[in-house]
Amino acid sequence: MEKITLVLNGKKETIYFEEGDTLLYVLRDRIGLTGTKFGCGYGVCGACTVVVNGEAVRSCKVLFKTLEGTDILTIEGLTDGEKLHPIQQAFVDANAVQCGFCTPGIVMELYALFGKEPDASDDRIKEVLSGHLCRCTGYESIFDAAKLAQKTENYSKQDKKDFESAAKLAREYMKKSRKEEK
Amino acid sequence: MGFKYIGKDVQYRPDVLERVTGEAIFIDDIKLPGMLHAQILHPKYAHAKILSIDTLEAEKMPGVYKVITGKGWEKHYGDCIKDMMPMTVDKVRHIGDAVAAVVADTEKRARDAIKKIRVEYEPLPVYTDAMEAIKENAHLIHEHSDEYFHVSPLYEPIPKTNIAVRYRIKKGDAVKGFKEADVVVEREFNFPLMSSAAIEVHGAIALFRMDNTIEIWTSNVGSFAVREEVAHLFDLPISDVRVHVPYIGGCFGYKSDPSLGPLIAYIASFVPGHPIKLRVSRQEDFTSTFLGRGIRTKMKIGAKKDGTFTAMEAKLYLSTGAYADTGSNVLIVATQSAGGVYEFPNADVTGYSVYTNTPPVGALRAYGHPEIQFALERLVDIIARELNMAPADVRKKNFLSVGKSNVVGEKMKKSDGNLYKCIDNVERAIFPKEKPKEDENYYYGRGIAGLIKSPKAPTFAAKGCHIKFNVDGSVSVNMAGADVGQGLFILVRQITAEALKLPLEKVRVYNEIDTQFSPWEWQTVGSMFTFQGGNAIIKAANKAIEMLKKNAALVLHRDVSVLEYDGNYVYDRSYPDVKVPVSKICRGYIMKDGTTIGDVVQVSSDFRLPGAQNPDPETGMGRTGVSYTMGVQGCELRIEKKTGKVIIDNFATSIDIGRVINPANARGQVVGGVVMGIGETLMEEIKFDKNGKLVNANLLQYKLPTIYDMPGKQTIEFVETHDEIGPFGARGIGEHPMVGVAPAILNAIYDAIGYDFYEIPLTPDKIKAVIDGDMEVR
Repeated sequence: MEKITLVLNGKKETIYFEEGDTLLYVLRDRIGLTGTKFGCGYGVCGACTVVVNGEAVRSCKVLFKTLEGTDILTIEGLTDGEKLHPIQQAFVDANAVQCGFCTPGIVMELYALFGKEPDASDDRIKEVLSGHLCRCTGYESIFDAAKLAQKTENYSKQDKKDFESAAKLAREYMKKSRKEEK
Repeated sequence: MGFKYIGKDVQYRPDVLERVTGEAIFIDDIKLPGMLHAQILHPKYAHAKILSIDTLEAEKMPGVYKVITGKGWEKHYGDCIKDMMPMTVDKVRHIGDAVAAVVADTEKRARDAIKKIRVEYEPLPVYTDAMEAIKENAHLIHEHSDEYFHVSPLYEPIPKTNIAVRYRIKKGDAVKGFKEADVVVEREFNFPLMSSAAIEVHGAIALFRMDNTIEIWTSNVGSFAVREEVAHLFDLPISDVRVHVPYIGGCFGYKSDPSLGPLIAYIASFVPGHPIKLRVSRQEDFTSTFLGRGIRTKMKIGAKKDGTFTAMEAKLYLSTGAYADTGSNVLIVATQSAGGVYEFPNADVTGYSVYTNTPPVGALRAYGHPEIQFALERLVDIIARELNMAPADVRKKNFLSVGKSNVVGEKMKKSDGNLYKCIDNVERAIFPKEKPKEDENYYYGRGIAGLIKSPKAPTFAAKGCHIKFNVDGSVSVNMAGADVGQGLFILVRQITAEALKLPLEKVRVYNEIDTQFSPWEWQTVGSMFTFQGGNAIIKAANKAIEMLKKNAALVLHRDVSVLEYDGNYVYDRSYPDVKVPVSKICRGYIMKDGTTIGDVVQVSSDFRLPGAQNPDPETGMGRTGVSYTMGVQGCELRIEKKTGKVIIDNFATSIDIGRVINPANARGQVVGGVVMGIGETLMEEIKFDKNGKLVNANLLQYKLPTIYDMPGKQTIEFVETHDEIGPFGARGIGEHPMVGVAPAILNAIYDAIGYDFYEIPLTPDKIKAVIDGDMEVR
């Protein structure tokens, strides 16, 4: 067994692993953080996406030994156990969760995207979402959720992180824009 | 009737928080004390005799507990045809068969040991298509198929052939019908093998205990079916097998038949006392569970000059795979659905389920229906052309409606739906203005197709429901329906709250399926849960209300017949002040001195398709569907001249589902189903090489639709013709949106480029070849 030290979900941790372990294997099978999902094992489906140093990565393709000193965020680190993160809330509000197996990966992808590009264009949002397979939703609601999440995050910055009223504003905005579409 | 919760967008699904936070426990998230890991050895050949298996080296590998083969095992299993074994013996029949297994302390060590097993094979001829395997003198994939147990007379094999089941429908006199026709068209179609390919792969855990009981955890929507198969295999009372079903990451059909259950139980039987886990790779998820579709159809229809259909004749060939138990149901359903949404007074349809050296076909969303209606709906467009009629007009001329009979001779009822409203909705969405003229970059096309589906299940299939009143007036609802993402739990909550006049917060739906506690149901399949499960809830709710009234009658000294229930109280209808709160009577009523009277209010109920019958074995006629759901789909599309790529700008779906219970979920099912259908039509196909190796068993080469493949817009309108039987008039919607997608798109492609395709998937290269003139454009 080897070990490295890194920050996982905000806490400094020393983690033991074996030479060939992927990040996904360590998260799921060694540490028991099972919110991150295995879908294909070669980075195509996106279900295993986590955030490393602010970037969305496919954890099934990253060797754990390369992660010394990094800052890793998984779906488990996104909530405080009391309130959903605005991106998660947006997925609930937009009915973008069906079986939920692809959801954690997509939420983490959007977390990384909006962290770097809060005003990402629709095309850019579609581009990052195109790396995630969802067999249930047909993507319409996932795109809606992404837009809603983006709005909420931006509103919540304006409103000094008052998430409740930001979410309300964002929902109203989405309703209005949907009506205009029709 | 005014509803409080039915038809309303009710937030939130009781399971949504767990799913969106990653807390939901799926099969691969389960770790048990003492758990070991299994891995499977699959054959080098798709069809071969096993001459010898040498496991010695593998047994010596580090961490290995046991190396297991099928040697000495004799018992077969299967629901309708017992032609399967948990592990293959003497012979391999497809590339995903299980030849041997290793149990080790870690998955990696099990995998390493698998590589040390030496197997000698004698290769046999390989058939990957029914048309090859059905030929005279073809090598038999099952030498003694007639000796297997099969449910008579529907599942009879033809001995000494690879035909596992032949199924016939004879309605009226097809020969006479074609004589009456002015126009006859005939074509051959192919709906190839595909995969459900949920994002979560299959997994299972089994534990054999010292007391000879078996406990299983599996990603399967048929908990009770798994239990029965495993009990059968080990000659145990069914009650000694316990099956748990955790959250499931998408089903789409292939997690409904007992896929890994029998195999993992067999393996675990060699290592009693240890839970044994098997999680398959993505490749095994393709090769070693179930595939879907795989039907070739030769179909002929005839019509009079005015467009009235006179007859149909069809032959269906299903490449059922190495085992026919599950595929044969797909074939039978396809045969029974050959007439689609139209009345054919005469029909002669024969289906063949043919053994092939491919992974077995099982359920795939709406199985049997899209395969055959693809052929029919294309042919209707072709005959419309011959008749010089608009495709919509030929359809309207022949639509099933009240009193007309479908291809199995069932008379349609008003509540089976109103196709005329559906087609109006779709025409309004797709043909509001002139089609754009061909331009520099694109061809433009528009097309429509009808769709029909009935639940398709054994006549005894039912859903059970337990409702328990708690002392604070809240209720617990326990059912065995698996929520695979369709929103089943919120539906249970809505229906229960409506039926018991309770606020949603007072209804808790159990989200764990465990055959030890859950009421019996057949399987969560066939878009049947709303219909059967919903009715089971209403029946249970009514029983509970009756019990509350009986208890109240004792307390209030009134006759039950004058009492009313409003969710909070039971009271005298004429003197509402004479009342008792539900919370005081739901565990019986405690009098001042402590004496307690009345019953504890916990009830059990169930519901099945009323009056469903087996078909007549000679003609295939009979009440086999009972409850039908019909609709119309259509699309506007563009074909990019440079690449042959199909871009769907607008896809419209209108289905008569009786009543919408949860609008957001109903829309979600359609949006997702249509995109899955687009995948089947434009990109998905399982491919084999000539040796029967599956060459695209991964998500890189087996392409699923991405966000770039969703239509520019989806127009969805539900028609709500009250269903006489369904709960609050409702029927299911899970599978139906798949059914008309492929023919609607191919009909639109003809409209765009004047070329008839008969086979899917239509990848851009195939269309480009036609545009470039490499294929003849008619």
